[in-house]
Amino acid sequence: MSAEKKMSRRDLLKLAGAGSAGLVMSGLPVKVIAQDPVTIKVQAHGLDDNQLLPIADLMVAKHPHVSVEWVVLTGIDHEEVAAKILALVAAGESIDVGYAATEATQLFAGQGLAEPLDDLITGDPDQEFWTDYFADVHPSLVEAMMYEGSLYEPPRDFNAANMYFNTNVLAENGFDVPGPNWTKDDFVEIARGITKKDDAGNTDVFGYAWINRLWGSWMPWIFVAGGNLYTEERAPGGDWCWDGYYEGDPAVEGRGGGFRWRTPIANSDEVVEALQLVVDLWREGVTPDIEMGSGATLTGFYATGKLGMTPAGGFWAGRLKNEGMEKGDFDVQLWPAWRNQKHQFGTGGHWLAAGATAPEEAWEFMKIEVSHEGFQASPFFYPVIITTSARRSYSQAANYESTGPANYEVFYDTLDKHPSTSPIPAPPWANPMTTIFTTGTSNALSGAMSPQDALDQMQAELEALTARQPQYYADN
Amino acid sequence: MTTANGAADSGGGFLHWLLQDTMDGLRRRRAILGYLFLLPTLLGIFIFTAGPVFVSFGLSLFRWNIFKPPDYIELANYERLISDVRIAISFGNTLKFTVLAVATQVSIGLILALAVHRISNTAMRYYFRTTFFLPLLMSGAAVAVVMGYIFHKEFGPLNYYLGLMGVQQIPWKTSADWVMVTIVITSAWRNLGFTFILFIGGLSNISQEVLDAADVDGAQGFRRLWSVTIPLLSPQILFATVTGVIGAIQVFEEPFIMTRGGPGNASRTAVMVMYEHAFKDIEYGYGSAIAVVLFLVIMAFTATQMWMSRRWVFYQ
Repeated sequence: MSAEKKMSRRDLLKLAGAGSAGLVMSGLPVKVIAQDPVTIKVQAHGLDDNQLLPIADLMVAKHPHVSVEWVVLTGIDHEEVAAKILALVAAGESIDVGYAATEATQLFAGQGLAEPLDDLITGDPDQEFWTDYFADVHPSLVEAMMYEGSLYEPPRDFNAANMYFNTNVLAENGFDVPGPNWTKDDFVEIARGITKKDDAGNTDVFGYAWINRLWGSWMPWIFVAGGNLYTEERAPGGDWCWDGYYEGDPAVEGRGGGFRWRTPIANSDEVVEALQLVVDLWREGVTPDIEMGSGATLTGFYATGKLGMTPAGGFWAGRLKNEGMEKGDFDVQLWPAWRNQKHQFGTGGHWLAAGATAPEEAWEFMKIEVSHEGFQASPFFYPVIITTSARRSYSQAANYESTGPANYEVFYDTLDKHPSTSPIPAPPWANPMTTIFTTGTSNALSGAMSPQDALDQMQAELEALTARQPQYYADN
Repeated sequence: MTTANGAADSGGGFLHWLLQDTMDGLRRRRAILGYLFLLPTLLGIFIFTAGPVFVSFGLSLFRWNIFKPPDYIELANYERLISDVRIAISFGNTLKFTVLAVATQVSIGLILALAVHRISNTAMRYYFRTTFFLPLLMSGAAVAVVMGYIFHKEFGPLNYYLGLMGVQQIPWKTSADWVMVTIVITSAWRNLGFTFILFIGGLSNISQEVLDAADVDGAQGFRRLWSVTIPLLSPQILFATVTGVIGAIQVFEEPFIMTRGGPGNASRTAVMVMYEHAFKDIEYGYGSAIAVVLFLVIMAFTATQMWMSRRWVFYQ
C-alpha cells in the first residue's frame, strides 16, 4: 500500500513487449517466458478430484520450467470460497491464479486483487487465439466478467438457470416435457400434478424443489416476473472487446463495460409476487422446506424419484449421470415465461492475481485453460459435462451424447436466443448481499414473515449495506 | 520491589541480592526459577491470546478491509453494533443456546455419570465410559453434516422413524421454533462426553467414609445424592459450567454447517456474525468490535459464575 510510484506489471509487460520487438527486429531469438524454474500457485477445489490437473500437465508439457502448486479451497457455495480466498490473501498468502464465478468477480476486481486483462489480450501477439476464443463465447458471458470497463476473467464455464425435469415422474402423471414457450401457469399445473402425498398428508414426491442461495434459487422467478434485487445498469467501456472481437455481431448491441448493481429494488411488486409464488407452493407441500446448500444438494433426491422439477444448469447433466440416472431419465427446458422470459446465469473463470509472483506463466496457464486443447482435456467437459462450457463449440450434441438431456440446446440457446438474459446481481459487496438475500428468503419460506414483510426488511438491509460501501462504481 | 531496589541501592548489585546466602535469597531464587518455568507459557499466552485480544481492541476502532489502508473511526463500529438488529438477535440466540446447551450437558452428563458409576462390572463401566466419550473425539463439522441429514424434515431418518410412531414431520432445521432445539441436541450429544468424564472423575474421588457416614445418619437415595454427592461434586459442576458457558457462547460449527444461521436469523449466533462480518464481508474493524463485545460478555459471565460459586461450591 505504499504511495510511491512503482513499476506496474503492465508497465513491465509493455517494456518487455518493446524489448521483444527490438530483439525481433535485430534478428535475435525471442524468449517470451523466462526459463528459470517457476512455480505458479493456482486455486483448486480439491486434490484427489482436481479437474485442473490436465491443464497443469499441458502447461508443464509446453513450459517444462513451470511447476504448478495447488491452493485448495472448498466451500458449499461460491461466496464461501470467496471468503476463504479473502482470508488467505489477508493472512499474507499469495496466489497467482484464482477462480471466481459471477458471485465473486466484482468482489475481487473491486478490491484490486485481480488484474484487468484488457492489455494482455489486445497486446497478445497471438491475436488469432483471441479471435477464435471470442467468436466461440457469447458476449453476455464476457460482459458479465467485466468490471468498470475491463475484463477480469475469460469465461470458462457458465450455467443458466434452466428447468430440469425428472421425465419418469412426469410420465407417471401424464405430463410431457413442455416446449420452450411454456409459461408460469403451465409450470404450476405440472408441479401440482406430479406432487404425491401420503395418507398423513406428508409429501412423498415433490413437484418442485430448490436451494436457498443466490444463483438458481427463486432468483429465476424474480427475473421472469420482471424484477431484480438491484437495478441493472451498465458501466461504460468494453469497446476494445466489442469492436475488436465482436464486430458486426448483433449480440453486442447495447453492451457496456460490465454491470453496476447499486440501487436496491428488492421489495418491488414483481419481486413480492415472485416470492409469493414460491411461498404458496411451499405451503401447499408442492415444495419441501427450503434449505441452504449448493447445486449438488438435491441431486440424490432427484435421482431417486423424489423430485419432479428443479432449477439447474448444464452442470447437472453429468452429476445426475454420476448419481445413476440414465440418458432419458431427465430433460431440460428454458425457464417458463411470466411477464417476460428473461433468464439468469452465472459464469466462471480464472483471474490473474494483482502482484502475482509469476504473472507471465500464470497468464499462460489461463490461456491454456480456455484454449481448444484445454477444453478438450478438461474433466469439466469430458467424459461428462459437469459444468456448461462457455465455448459454444463444446456445448454440442456430442458433449451430451452419453448423458443427455435431449434438450441440451437450451443451455446455449438461453444466451443465443434470449438477448435479455443477464447475470445474477453480484456487486463487489455480493457476500453480505447474499447473506441478506438468503436470510430474507428463509424468513418468508419458514412462515416467520409474509413475503411483503420479508422483502421490506431485505430492502432496508440492502439499502443500508449499499450505503456503507465505498465508491466501487464511478459516477457516469 | 522496594526490597529489591533497596538491596540494589545498597551497593551489592542484583547478583549479590539474588545470590545472598540467606533464607530471603533462597526464596528469591526459587521465585525466579518458578517464573522462568512459567515464561514459555506466559509468552505463548501473550503472543497468541492476549496479544490478539489487545489488537482486536485496537482494530475495533478502525474501518479496515485489509486491502486498503485503515480509517480511524473512533467508536463508530460500536455505535453501529448497538443499532444492528442482527447483532441483537444473534447475541440473544447465543444466550438461549448457552442456557439450553449447558443445562443439558451438565444435567444429562451428571445423570449418566451417576448411572455408570453404579455399574459394578468393570468391563461394562469402561464400555459406557468409552461410548459416551467417543463423540467428543469426532470433528464438530463432520457431526454437524451427519446430523444435518438425520434432522432433514422430509428425507431424514429421524422424522421417518417418528412418522412410524405417528408423529407428524418436525421441521427440525427449518422452523424458528425448532431450530435451536436441534442445534442444542447436536451440540450436547457431541460435548456430553466431557462433562460425563469430569463427573465420573469427581464421583470416584468422593470418600467412601463420607458416604458411609451419610448412610449412618440416615441419608439415602435422593437425600444422599442431593445433600452429599452433589455438594461434593460441586467443584466439577462449577468447572463444567464455566467451561461449558465459555464454549457455548462461542458456538459456530453446528449452526453454520446445519442451518447457516437460518431460518431467517433464528440460529445465527454471535460468532457467526463475527465471522460473516470479518471474513465474508471483509469488515475487520466491525468484526473486531463484535469480538470485543463477545470477550466482555464471556468475562462477565465467568466472573459472575466464579463470584456466585462461593455460595454453593464446596471444596473438601
